[in-house]
Amino acid sequence: MSLSNLIQNWDSFRKRRPYEDQYKDAPYKWAMVIDLDSCIGCNACTVACYAENNLAVVGKERFGKGQAMHWIRIERYWGEGEALETEFPERGAQYLPMLCQQCEAAPCEPVCPVGATHHSPDGLNTQVYNRCVGSRYCSANCPYKVRYFNWWNYPERAWPNPLELQLNPDVTVRSKGVMEKCTFCMQRLRAGQDKAKTAGRLLADGEVLTACAQACPTSAITFGNLADKNSKVARMWKNQQVDLAKNAQDKSEEGVRGYRILEDLNTYPSIVYLERLRNFAA
Amino acid sequence: MSTGNMDRRDFLRVLGISGAAATLAGCGHTSIESGVEEVMSYVQPQDFVVPGIGVFYSSTCTQCGSGCGIMGKVREGRVLKLEGNPESGISGGKICGLGQAGVQAHYNPDRLHTPMMNIEGGLVPISWERANQLLDEHFGTKSSLQGEQIAFLTGGVSGHQRVVLENFLESFGSTQHVCYDAISTATGRAASKTVLGAEQPLWNFSKARLILSFGSDFLGNGVSPVYMAREFAKFRKAPRGTLIQIEPRMTLTGGNADRWYPIKPGTEGILALGIAHDLLQHPEFSGKVPQEVLDLVKNYDRDAVSEVTGIGADAVRLIAAQLWNNTPSLVVAGPAVEGHAYGFSNAAAVQLLNVILGNRGNSLEGQSEHPFPQMTPTLGSYRALAELHKKMVSGNCQALLIHGTNPVFTSPTHLEFSEAMKKVPFKVALVTHIDETAGQCDLVLPLLSAMEDFGTHIAEYQPSGVELMLQQPLMEKLYPETKGFGDILLDVLKKRKPQEYAVFPDYYSYLKAAVLKAKPVFHSDEPDEHFWETALMNGVVKWEGKPTDLEAKMVPLEVPEPHGLTTDYPFYFVPSIRPDMRDGRHAYLPWLQESPETMTTVVWDSWVEIHPKTAAQMQIKEGDVLLLQSATGSIQAKAYIFPGIQPDTVSMPLGQGHTQMGRYASGVGANPYKILDPIFDAHTGELALHATRVAIRKTGENQKVVKDEGPTNLQNGQKLVATLSADQAKLAREI
Repeated sequence: MSLSNLIQNWDSFRKRRPYEDQYKDAPYKWAMVIDLDSCIGCNACTVACYAENNLAVVGKERFGKGQAMHWIRIERYWGEGEALETEFPERGAQYLPMLCQQCEAAPCEPVCPVGATHHSPDGLNTQVYNRCVGSRYCSANCPYKVRYFNWWNYPERAWPNPLELQLNPDVTVRSKGVMEKCTFCMQRLRAGQDKAKTAGRLLADGEVLTACAQACPTSAITFGNLADKNSKVARMWKNQQVDLAKNAQDKSEEGVRGYRILEDLNTYPSIVYLERLRNFAA
Repeated sequence: MSTGNMDRRDFLRVLGISGAAATLAGCGHTSIESGVEEVMSYVQPQDFVVPGIGVFYSSTCTQCGSGCGIMGKVREGRVLKLEGNPESGISGGKICGLGQAGVQAHYNPDRLHTPMMNIEGGLVPISWERANQLLDEHFGTKSSLQGEQIAFLTGGVSGHQRVVLENFLESFGSTQHVCYDAISTATGRAASKTVLGAEQPLWNFSKARLILSFGSDFLGNGVSPVYMAREFAKFRKAPRGTLIQIEPRMTLTGGNADRWYPIKPGTEGILALGIAHDLLQHPEFSGKVPQEVLDLVKNYDRDAVSEVTGIGADAVRLIAAQLWNNTPSLVVAGPAVEGHAYGFSNAAAVQLLNVILGNRGNSLEGQSEHPFPQMTPTLGSYRALAELHKKMVSGNCQALLIHGTNPVFTSPTHLEFSEAMKKVPFKVALVTHIDETAGQCDLVLPLLSAMEDFGTHIAEYQPSGVELMLQQPLMEKLYPETKGFGDILLDVLKKRKPQEYAVFPDYYSYLKAAVLKAKPVFHSDEPDEHFWETALMNGVVKWEGKPTDLEAKMVPLEVPEPHGLTTDYPFYFVPSIRPDMRDGRHAYLPWLQESPETMTTVVWDSWVEIHPKTAAQMQIKEGDVLLLQSATGSIQAKAYIFPGIQPDTVSMPLGQGHTQMGRYASGVGANPYKILDPIFDAHTGELALHATRVAIRKTGENQKVVKDEGPTNLQNGQKLVATLSADQAKLAREI
């Protein structure tokens, strides 16, 4: 996207995609479901992400300045309205695993002056590190605050010898001045896709998982291919009555609990959350 | 695995990833050019190794005692990432954050590379030759040490490491294997044994409709958190079970409760008796309950209980009704219950509810019988350390070996453990890092990391049958001067008992022989090599077993009220256990330091949790540096305003406040162990972790609390985390 695009086509861009059946003939469209009733807030996913994606440990001072690099984080809320007026959080805490929502109409994409953030054919919102010039417009425009900027040259600081031996060779170690974000573990996807392609087939459901989904002790995270109507993730989206191409869902059935965060901003996220449940009779 | 394991180790060495290989010999000569090492071309790699492709090897996680099966992704001779091993019935292919950080323990920049010796008050590096000389002087054939003069102080140990360790002690005629755990559950286990007939029964979440937890953080740091989390997730599927949590400070598990109640610390047993009182009103019980139990509960009517515990009379009625209407249920007790002067009675009163509700045989069963009693885990206690302490002070203990525990950091001030260390002439630490205890030893031996060593492990909690877990090296050792725990002990044993041990060149061969010797127990008729390779490949050998019956009984109890608050010490002090830091042994792992503690989202620090109401009364703001004063001592930390806490209580997480253990641990936060009062459980003698009372004083200083949550932490009317009433959801229809 360029400046002219921004000025002329903003509205059409924001509403153009995803159009219905956009991924009908595509082999892959990666998506996720996170069940907030299963998530116990244990942080296994966040540490798994540090291990898989070479995330830098920034230390206390920089963390305090908002420079933490956690691509996935557990937000903890105490509720809203009435829940906050009680003396104690009687219904427990609210845990929210927050990561890049891989929006179909991502607000971060059109504002990049150099096209470093773009949409991949399999529906990922990607960041091209060697194009990024560090304008940080994308981060400013992200409503989920899941883009992380390298304020420092972490390779020199975050992995004192021999910690660097743990770095995943399949993932670029980012340097100062570039933006980074969750990739849905693209290195795993690409390796899996290549393997499947060599064998002349498509990836099977569950054959490749993101690091967070693989680690999650409660299996709260389901990851898969939305273009495959039989995949678990596609069946869950359908079962929960969430349509990728809508910005307001028709909820005809009672008790469905799937929703997308900040959907009314026309971001068309690729992650469906399932509402947390509480037995209010207890 | 298509080749023998030794071949793979050789291969890893050839790949030249080890520390020695990375070192250049100077003047353009590398170790390869000088012929020290060889280069093998990737054109003809060994079987199953493809450059650029990671291969997974099974092993066992040693970050805690749960014994989760793991897989290490190994590529070009380096272990990169750990995943859960689906073969393991405990981890089932899943892994927690603490487990993931195992690779950082291995690659930690502050690892110990060489043996060290204390010379004039400081540790200096020495050669293994000198270390062996010292070991030989003290533990060799000419050693005069006998019986109680030698002791081995460890954390939890199981499998063949425990066998070798105890054989080592036996060669001196000693049985002094002292197992210390600073967050011991010995009191709760003793209460469970008395009432339910098992220290740790099986919790069948699948058969329970309601879990009533008194301060048990089974999802965060109980006996097997990953397994419990997996089972809890199933418990939450249709028909969804309910969790009620009662505790003074909200734990991770409490955060997942359908209903959470704050209770005055130490009154959990009284509440349990109040609930029992309500339950026993049901006509079904008439004539079936021993008179002493009826006598025990008769004074605990709702109003009386409500006054002591701070839980409303209506709530007591509601909890009892929920239990009655949702059978079978499961009632569990955690550290908050047992950490008092009468923690045993407190925990026993909670377990009594299980007996009354008839949960035995349903949601509660006994663990399977055990084919290897000599390899079961030794579980630590405080009392064991206190008894060792007496021997150290009296001068009976002449030599002390320490492994897997850090009592100088975790023991309370009043024990004066550091002083007692000075009375022992020869102290040896077997460690991967120099911690506070190793810093006071005479000889410090550098161990292989868990990613470099062989071993077997047996977990305390065995969900089905018994699993013998195998730990194998995931890569060649990083530092040539490090040595395996088993190898060090075996080397001594080979000298002391050559007839029995000389046949084993190393711990690997000992372990292999030992596992193969156990082959008949597994009813296997496979050839030895095949059995061994399959075991290593799977990372686990399973022994089929059935759950056993529990012999539960109603025991008469006396549950006194806790000692109250005074004007000098007007707050209850609750040290909380972080799922990642535990007793502080993991504070040197940067991923865990930077991982926000879930309930507060604070990183890299210690903090004092205080209820908003109390904070407002005392005009305390977030970040105000508070001085916590107990009868024993004082520490400082920043205030964090936290709604999930009983208002007369303040809480601090354990695990920080290290003065050693490397760059990531030392100088971070404060150590609450050091202000714990000398109060002990009357029945077990365990240190009562939750019985200290404190006063709070503002120091006038305010510092920023570094945390992940935003300044308001509000959802501002947006649907971020939505909550639906459980009866409206249609879980059975979901995918």
